[in-house]
Amino acid sequence: MKSRMHAAILATIIIIVVVLAMAFALKGIALYIPPRNVRTLAEIFLNTTFNQWVNISAMAPEAVTAIVWDYRGLDTLFETSVMFIAIVGALTLSRGVGEKLFISGASEAGGLSVIVKTITRIILVMISAVGASIALHGHLTPGGGFQGGATIAVAPMILIVTFSVYFIVKRISIKKAVLLRSAGLGVIALSSFIVLIVALFKGGIAYIFQNQVKMFSPYSVPSYIGDSLVIGGTLLLFNAAETFAVAFGFIALLILITLPEEQFRKIILESEE
Amino acid sequence: MEIIYVLFNIAVLALIANIGLALYGVFTRPSLVKKIIALTIFSDTINLMVVLIGFRHAEPNPVPPILISIPPIKEDIITFMQKAVDPLPQALVLTAIVIGLAVILYLIFLTIQIYRIYGTTDVRKIAKLKG
Repeated sequence: MKSRMHAAILATIIIIVVVLAMAFALKGIALYIPPRNVRTLAEIFLNTTFNQWVNISAMAPEAVTAIVWDYRGLDTLFETSVMFIAIVGALTLSRGVGEKLFISGASEAGGLSVIVKTITRIILVMISAVGASIALHGHLTPGGGFQGGATIAVAPMILIVTFSVYFIVKRISIKKAVLLRSAGLGVIALSSFIVLIVALFKGGIAYIFQNQVKMFSPYSVPSYIGDSLVIGGTLLLFNAAETFAVAFGFIALLILITLPEEQFRKIILESEE
Repeated sequence: MEIIYVLFNIAVLALIANIGLALYGVFTRPSLVKKIIALTIFSDTINLMVVLIGFRHAEPNPVPPILISIPPIKEDIITFMQKAVDPLPQALVLTAIVIGLAVILYLIFLTIQIYRIYGTTDVRKIAKLKG
């Protein structure tokens, strides 16, 4: 019975792989060669990402960040909320144990040796600097809010491993991390209205998530100052707020994952009886 | 030039084989931790394939979708359009990676929670639990 099921699963997978391989090759046994031209949509994005002669340009040299926060900004806002929902789901599953556990007063002692702790303190600064650099140069080089936030989130993980989870919870509790994460999300939501608010004060019209000049709407956030200092309109603001939000979201999840197991089980089983 | 194409196709076939491997892991391994590991392999392979769709052939080599000269003149933009790879799959994969990371952290938390309370991550034992 069991071996028959395994054989069936294997056969299914082989069929899936063969069908996918044929679909990918498309021409039977011919080699797959990358095409010389990109799609028309990609050409439009590449043409308008930093082009002062068209009136729908994002005026940001990095096309990927321009797509993420300008062309498809609303998409990204909701996608950030998906991550927020994952965090809320994990908080619900923990049934408030995180708060109860740390009120009961646990010691900060423990962790690895003094050498490891000292090196961790030095490396923390470097990790945060690299993360901030990735995030704040997001409109110039590959990178952006998500990558920078995920890089910064490595720092609390190392803190938890080398010190203890109590050490980090004394400084940032789960509640505070989720609060700061929501604040980051709020800044993103507010900055999508900046141009609209300015336009309304001046008596004109503008769109939500407007960054640069659009048809019928001459308002914009300056894209570069002087000759070469690029700030990328609202992209810089979005990237900074997103870094904040992603980093604190991961801090909350990491604390939840590393809660001590025995005390956790004790509190959960007591509350069920 | 031909050998490059052969190597490129070997890479594509390796990706497809990777999908099969990951699906095998998700379907047949009883441990939830191993299922999650296989799931991460699956999502990373799919992400790489999506990035591969945006790849293009250009002489001498394709460039990342970033304009270097600021502000660009018209010739710069024309060369950029002829050489840069498709930025849209990269943007979609970027968001997919972050969502994947959050969902996988959630799944790991779920698994740890199951282990903390019931002391097992074996799906055959979890299926028989009452409560």
